[in-house]
Amino acid sequence: MLATQSNNPALHIDADGNYDVDGHFKQLRGQKRLYTILGLGALFIVLFFSLWFANETNSGKFLDRLPHFFDFVGDLIPRDGWEIGRALFDLSSPYFDGSLKFNYPEGRVYITESLYIPEYFYKMIETLNIAILSTLIGFIFGFILCFLAASNLTTERWLRFVVRRFLEILRAFPEIVIAGFFLAIFSLGPIPAIIAVSIHTIGALGKMFYEVVENADMKPDEGLRAAGGNWVERVWFGIVPQIMPNFLSYGLLRLEINVRASTILGAVGAGGIGEVLRLSISRGHEAKTLAIILILFVTIVCVDQLSAYLRKRIVGNQAFEFGA
Amino acid sequence: MLELKNVTRRFGPNTAVDNVDFAIPEGQMVGVIGASGAGKSTLLRMINRLIDTSEGEINFGGVRTSALKGQQLRNWQRDCAMIFQQFNLVPRIDVLTNVMLGRLNHRSTVASLLNIFSDEERAMAIAALERLGIEKVALQRAGTLSGGQQQRVAIARALMQQPKVILADEPIASLDPRNAQIVMQSLKDINQSDGITVITNLHTLDTARSFCERIIGMQAGRVVFDGGPDDLTEDAARKIYGADNLEDAFSEAVTSTSLNGSRSKSSGSERPPVARPAAEQNPVYA
Ligand SMILES: Nc1ncnc2c1ncn2[C@@H]1O[C@H](COP(=O)(O)OP(=O)(O)O)[C@@H](O)[C@H]1O
Ligand SMILES: [Mg+2]
Repeated sequence: MLATQSNNPALHIDADGNYDVDGHFKQLRGQKRLYTILGLGALFIVLFFSLWFANETNSGKFLDRLPHFFDFVGDLIPRDGWEIGRALFDLSSPYFDGSLKFNYPEGRVYITESLYIPEYFYKMIETLNIAILSTLIGFIFGFILCFLAASNLTTERWLRFVVRRFLEILRAFPEIVIAGFFLAIFSLGPIPAIIAVSIHTIGALGKMFYEVVENADMKPDEGLRAAGGNWVERVWFGIVPQIMPNFLSYGLLRLEINVRASTILGAVGAGGIGEVLRLSISRGHEAKTLAIILILFVTIVCVDQLSAYLRKRIVGNQAFEFGA
Repeated sequence: MLELKNVTRRFGPNTAVDNVDFAIPEGQMVGVIGASGAGKSTLLRMINRLIDTSEGEINFGGVRTSALKGQQLRNWQRDCAMIFQQFNLVPRIDVLTNVMLGRLNHRSTVASLLNIFSDEERAMAIAALERLGIEKVALQRAGTLSGGQQQRVAIARALMQQPKVILADEPIASLDPRNAQIVMQSLKDINQSDGITVITNLHTLDTARSFCERIIGMQAGRVVFDGGPDDLTEDAARKIYGADNLEDAFSEAVTSTSLNGSRSKSSGSERPPVARPAAEQNPVYA
């Protein structure tokens, strides 16, 4: 309210009827600076109390426990340079003592008599599979719903309202909350994780998608409407060709996020790499832990790089074509 | 026969089109002129039903098109093709498909979505492109064409609709003189050889004079002139454009000069030649 009033040039007209631009500018600048200082001050106060509150609510005092972190890191140092490699590729270890710690070959997933996938590669694929499948499901449903939520395509207010609230509810809950719920129903395994990540992805992509649609150029749509095209035809030919690059780009970004989400869900019972990582850490299997972290790291970097490359190509091309 | 009866359109407190009343017999070529904001676009958009009328009615061949709904409305839009200043093609789709999109209303939605067009439709689209002399770019993306080419694609798409009326909203306002000439000539050809009624909004008076057999002048939403090109006197023009904007109406005299100049070689129509540049013709305005 205040801001709109001070933006009003009419208040800066002097007795002679001249508009005092410089005075108006200075007033606006002063106002902006005041807001900046107030904002920064508020930020510091919030930051201080958040840190204090986090430390208070922590079970052990953070600073007291800190040395144990270095013990843990110390234990991680492998016995010899090859131990991580053996854990990674399920090769038998000279240290094998009958315990779980070095039973690498037992996790092999055999494809033929002699050809096998090392356990952690297989688990990583399980996790990637959850991520890819739920991104696809999220993409498809987000795609269908976004046109109904976009104000430039759906003129019925109530329909837009219902679809938008629906998408909001879907993305309101973090994957882990939804997964906990479905794990209770379907018991352990990847299906609850797929459902959970998909639901969240529909909500998240649906919102991004309808914002893209609302920024679409409506001239092609108008041309098709004037030619007697119906709603579905107008959307398909007038809107989809121009928004598709953006949708794909957002879908890839979501895939990056979903790889991480499915890893985390694995740790709470959805299987995959997250589960073996949690077990391995809690049981103190250092070489296995390092092997899993390595494979996770490499996979995530690869997915992110590939996705970044594809996004650049897709959106780059679009930027090139839009000028015409 | 296209009849407008007391048609009014309001946007909030503004009246964009005010109590417009005229009839256009089949096969006429009509130019609608007026200063920017006179309500020309609003008028055409109401006829095509991109927007609704606030008051009054529009009839075509005894059907009240201003009251149609659903499929019947889309059928009317198919019969009443529209061409836009900014072409309104789908830039990322190839030209041939863009032209075939003119058939949307003739076919099932499912077939359209799956991109299934019959051989006849493809032949028809190619014929339309040939007629407009742009068959060479048929497989290029529409967005990569020049403005003049895009507008011809838009006309080809309109032809694919097999319309009874073609509305054109400032079809040459973003084109260079040579392309403007080609586009206006194409519209004229379609009007003369296919007998399709053409109603076109034009920014400049001279283009309307050269190509239209009837001119409707609008000012602040009202029709203030309706007659043949020869009736459009200085007084009439002053009424349409207002004394202040009169220069505007002729500011593109260069455009219209070259329009008329190149016209003589490409058209052998029986229309009276209006080849003199505006400045010469009406020195008062210059
Ligand atoms: N969608 C709209 N909303 C509000 N006002 C509009 C809209 N379209 C047109 N107008 C107003 O109606 C009047 C006529 O506009 P328009 O038909 O575009 O004139 P022209 O095509 O002759 O330049 C203008 O005053 C314009 O501001
Ligand atoms: Mg206009």
